[in-house]
Amino acid sequence: MTGPGVAWYLGVAAFLFATGSLGVLLRRNPLIVLLSLEIMLNGANLALIGFSRNFGNGDGQIFALAVMAVAASEVVVGLGLIVALNRKRVTLDVDRLNRLRG
Amino acid sequence: MTTGAWICLVSPLVSAILITLGGTRLSRRTAGYLATLACFVSFSGALASFVAMLGRSGGDREVVSTAWTWLSAGRYSSGFEVLVDPLSVMMMLIVSGVGALIVAYSIGYMDGDPEERRYFAYMSLFVFSMLLLVQGGNLLLLLAGWGMVGLSSYLLIGFWHERPNAIAAAKKAFIMNAIGDATMALAFFLLIKQSGGLAFGVLNAHYSSTTANLVALGLLGGAVAKSAQLPLQTWLPDAMEGPTPVSALIHAATMVTAGVYLIVRTHAIFEQAPKIADLAAGLGAGTLLLAGLIALVQVDIKRVIAYSTMSQIGYMFLGAGLGAYANGMFHLMTHAFFKALLFLAAGIVIHALADEQDIRKMGGLRRLLPGTYWASLIGSLALVGIFPFAGFFSKDSILAAAMAHGTYGYILWVAGLTGTFLTGLYTFRLFFIVFGGEPSAFVREHFHALKRDVVGVSMGGTVAVLAVLSLFGGWIQFSPWWHPVDTWLRTVAEPLVTPKSWQEWTSIGASLLLGLAGIYSAWLFYGARRVAVPRLDVAQRILERKFYFDELYDALFYIPAVLLAKGLYVLVEQPLVRGSVTELGEDARDVGGLVARLQTGLLRTYVLAIATSVAVLAIIFVAVR
Repeated sequence: MTGPGVAWYLGVAAFLFATGSLGVLLRRNPLIVLLSLEIMLNGANLALIGFSRNFGNGDGQIFALAVMAVAASEVVVGLGLIVALNRKRVTLDVDRLNRLRG
Repeated sequence: MTTGAWICLVSPLVSAILITLGGTRLSRRTAGYLATLACFVSFSGALASFVAMLGRSGGDREVVSTAWTWLSAGRYSSGFEVLVDPLSVMMMLIVSGVGALIVAYSIGYMDGDPEERRYFAYMSLFVFSMLLLVQGGNLLLLLAGWGMVGLSSYLLIGFWHERPNAIAAAKKAFIMNAIGDATMALAFFLLIKQSGGLAFGVLNAHYSSTTANLVALGLLGGAVAKSAQLPLQTWLPDAMEGPTPVSALIHAATMVTAGVYLIVRTHAIFEQAPKIADLAAGLGAGTLLLAGLIALVQVDIKRVIAYSTMSQIGYMFLGAGLGAYANGMFHLMTHAFFKALLFLAAGIVIHALADEQDIRKMGGLRRLLPGTYWASLIGSLALVGIFPFAGFFSKDSILAAAMAHGTYGYILWVAGLTGTFLTGLYTFRLFFIVFGGEPSAFVREHFHALKRDVVGVSMGGTVAVLAVLSLFGGWIQFSPWWHPVDTWLRTVAEPLVTPKSWQEWTSIGASLLLGLAGIYSAWLFYGARRVAVPRLDVAQRILERKFYFDELYDALFYIPAVLLAKGLYVLVEQPLVRGSVTELGEDARDVGGLVARLQTGLLRTYVLAIATSVAVLAIIFVAVR
């Protein structure tokens, strides 16, 4: 088995995860927040697959597939919500969306 | 034999259920006819068992028929079973027979009452409960019937539930009876502990004297409460708040006679505890004097009769306590006839006078109600025990039995004789005031006669039947010469005393003389009014207040209980219970306010919190490893 060692993969994964979490924390547009969440999930996926390859065990890849399925459904719901908010002419700013009453 | 007994037991219950389920689909009259029919079916069932039993010899007359195992726990088990023996058949005949007549009378008396159906359902339930009590094949079923009799009496005494007095009287009766139920239950627990069961057979086992005394005392407590004897007698006069036929049912056929039945049924235990048996006889003697005295000053027609019941039940307790079981039961039977007669006749009077019960307003009803006049005369003479009416035959034999019981017996005998004089006096005081003289102004104004429709026939007809029974019912037994009742009950309860012939005749002569003397004095005071009624204010007041028993119980139990409750309310309820509830609520709200502040609604803070926590957890995880 050739290619870079597992540390490289983990490094990239950590970078992706950190980028994503910073995006979630700092950005106000819910669309961007959603994208950043996806980046975090992909970071986690990369870590899973990296370990899976390192230990020669397929479990991590199965997990990654499951995470992708969850991410896909989450995007569906999240984008749907954002579109609906936009249609109602609500300002797309997570700091101002602080009331559950609607 | 047992088929008849089961029919007798079940048919009033069926009628109660049908009337309840039928509701407004049944007309009011139909409910009355249904209840009456059920009671007469019940009576025919009892009659069938009686006839079947006549065909058997003495030893085979006791049969237990078990329907199913009703209750079993550990080694204990009781069946749902009926006991058919001479004693229970005698009670079945009295309860269903007199009960059926009273229910038939109710068709007329309750006519037009807005809640007739409920009334007839309760009446059927009452008859069923009493039949369960007398037929129950073990002590547990007896107790079940005992409790149900208390329940039905509560429902019926409080039948006119819009009257506060009636509700108070119903509660009083129920509570007094509950005291008796409790002592009885305690006695049964003790029996289960000592013998492992509640079949009637366990009563015949031999017990240590303490056990026997305690069990007998518990049973006596139940009997005293149900039969309104000293010291639990105060509920009976108040129970007059119910409709008149209910009073008749309580006094004649069901309920108050249950105590006498209980003593006779459980005589084996009382024979092992002779002191308690003597106590029962003494309580009976005390009650008969007390009730006789109080009856002298009462002005409510039904209350006078109620006190006469207490007094007559006193005679029965006297007989049963002394071991003259058959005499007590015989008096129970004749008493059922003439007491039902007196109550139902009084019901006609009350009905004819627009529900007035105060005898001071009555008078001169002899010409207006001739039939009722004669019926009441027969009933009153039977109550005093004048030859040849029913009471004569039964009361004197109890007195004779008292004579055969040694010195203690003679004391009771004197009490019983005094009671006879009082009976004559108060019975005929009532009779002369209500029927004698000229019609009073009130009577002239309010009187309206019975019509010859269903109402009149149902009331007049039943009174006539009972008058015939009171006239001839006593001839069954005349203890000096013939005694079939003694022979009938001998297999169930062997009498402990056998009075000699001279004792019988002395009692007969003395009680007849004193009874006549009582009637004569009543005639002097109230009939001819030749002698002014002696007045003694102190005595008058004591008697009108019923010897202050109500006040005594108020002071002993009611007031301390109320004070205790009020004290606990101020000291415990308000600061601890109510205070703690308010305090807890406020604290919960404060905590909630603090926690709510964390929920800002800002996504960013949540994410930060999650991220920080995960980071901290990760660090801890790494550090610990």
